[in-house]
Amino acid sequence: MTGEVSPALRLEGVSLRAGGSPHGRELCHALDLQASPGQRWVLLGPNGSGKSTLLMAIAGLVAPAQGRIVLGERALPNWRSEDLAKCRAWCPQFWLDPFPVSAWETVACAVLATQPDGEGAAVEQMARHWLGAFDAGHIADNDVRTLSGGERQRVALATAFAQATPLLLLDEPTSHLDWSHQGLLQRVLKQWSGEKGGIAMVAVHDLNLAWTLATHALLLDGKGGVTHGLRDQILTAEALALAYGVPVTIIEDGEARWFRVNLEKAP
Amino acid sequence: MRLKSPPLTVATLVAACCVPVAVALGLLSGSSGWGWPAHDILWLIRVPRVLAAFGTGAALALAGALIQLVTRNPLSDPQVLGVTSGASVGAMLAMMLLPAGLRFGIELGAMAGALLSMTLVFTLAWRSMGRGLALSAQPGTVVVLLVGMMVSAACLSVVDFIVTVANDLQLRSIVFWLLGDLNGVTLWWPVWLATGAAFGLAWPRARELDWLARGDAWAWTIGVSVAHRRRMAILAACVATGAAVATAGSIGFVGLVAPHVVRLTGLRSARQLLPFSAIFGGVFLVLADTVARTVVAPTQLPVGVISAAVGVPLFLMLLLRRRA
Repeated sequence: MTGEVSPALRLEGVSLRAGGSPHGRELCHALDLQASPGQRWVLLGPNGSGKSTLLMAIAGLVAPAQGRIVLGERALPNWRSEDLAKCRAWCPQFWLDPFPVSAWETVACAVLATQPDGEGAAVEQMARHWLGAFDAGHIADNDVRTLSGGERQRVALATAFAQATPLLLLDEPTSHLDWSHQGLLQRVLKQWSGEKGGIAMVAVHDLNLAWTLATHALLLDGKGGVTHGLRDQILTAEALALAYGVPVTIIEDGEARWFRVNLEKAP
Repeated sequence: MRLKSPPLTVATLVAACCVPVAVALGLLSGSSGWGWPAHDILWLIRVPRVLAAFGTGAALALAGALIQLVTRNPLSDPQVLGVTSGASVGAMLAMMLLPAGLRFGIELGAMAGALLSMTLVFTLAWRSMGRGLALSAQPGTVVVLLVGMMVSAACLSVVDFIVTVANDLQLRSIVFWLLGDLNGVTLWWPVWLATGAAFGLAWPRARELDWLARGDAWAWTIGVSVAHRRRMAILAACVATGAAVATAGSIGFVGLVAPHVVRLTGLRSARQLLPFSAIFGGVFLVLADTVARTVVAPTQLPVGVISAAVGVPLFLMLLLRRRA
């Protein structure tokens, strides 16, 4: 790490189009957003509403149709990709493993990316540490191509955390995870953002997980509309029902909210 | 399945033992039987031939390892992607059109042909990439292979055309390009030079090639300049393939087989994969050429026959195991 404090993330009038192409469907229009260190954001919205595209835009992979995304004090196009690699980690939804490689070597890629001069043993130890943190220490020497979906996803999460960046962009990190590992992820994430003061942006579909995980939420309605703010204000039954098109009932339990979705009433 | 890597010292020792054994076998065997050859035969025929075989094998294996990493497809190699046939067309055209006395005209023609066909494959297959990054995790790995086969087919039709219009004298050397033959090779060093240059281009940033193989977009987010790295690897692969084709014609399967065999031994990272693939490819082709010279002596088989006889079953085995 270069020792700089966690940079804030700012979106200024960002408009995004599907696939990042100028003729794509409009996903969000003139979005202004400020995320500060220590905040955990969940991105919600129906399939194809632009959660992944928004994460890719923040990662710098997709240029917004309008507006700009500022990380720290610099707009994204002004960053060099080497420096950006030390500031944000992007955990994609899908991975490609064409050649045999062990789980720890996969994680070590991310460690080496941010510490190019890292000494071999230290890098391996760091990689194994993060695999252990995601309950994947026992598969550290296995070929990633033989892992189950959930195991592979935990390796991917370990990779993202091992990059040791103040901004984490996780694209549907729980799609293959069982309950206990979803719980593990939210624990690790909360501890990380509390201790390191990092910003997390997580696309999820599970409303209960979203509530547990987040301090803030952003809801894409799939028609170009976006609302965002504190989780209490965004995760309301009306807004969610409108965005997803399914009836959502909220059971208040003191401070907590439990979400119940009636799938039989879905259109 | 657990993965283990052999210690690097052991791998280096094995490689260091294999090379002299292969070279000795190559030098001591001839169409007239085994034994120490006469001085002139040794220095004017055997030594250049063994060196050319080693350099050609190393060049093709290096190109194969690079192309597999860049296309992130374990089934691609210079021949499958049409680079070899592009180089053959380039070499033939150079032979027919350039003035006969021009030094290295054929070598340069082969390299240009390789570069042209590779560029064609990549532009056609990855035309839709924004900023040179493929955002999905499956950036047309099948498409690259299919386009490569089409380019290869197109090159072969050009070859057929040239064969039809060529005169008898030209026809004889054209058949040489098609079969892949080390018979009568005297100029051994250009392929060594090209292999060295390709290795020098690719190896210093080999680690980033490993990351590139896991997806363009992800590689970019961890700081790899994807487009630049890919161009360098492709250029290196084309220089090596072009030189190999100019030296020995189109020899298939070395580029496919060598990286896989090296991976099977546990040397997986590109830093180790590139040099050891090259060494394996060199040893493999020296041995294949030795067999080609001796198996039906006094007739000499083209080395391409032997390398295909070993390579085809291996390719099929890899393909079928992938499906299973």
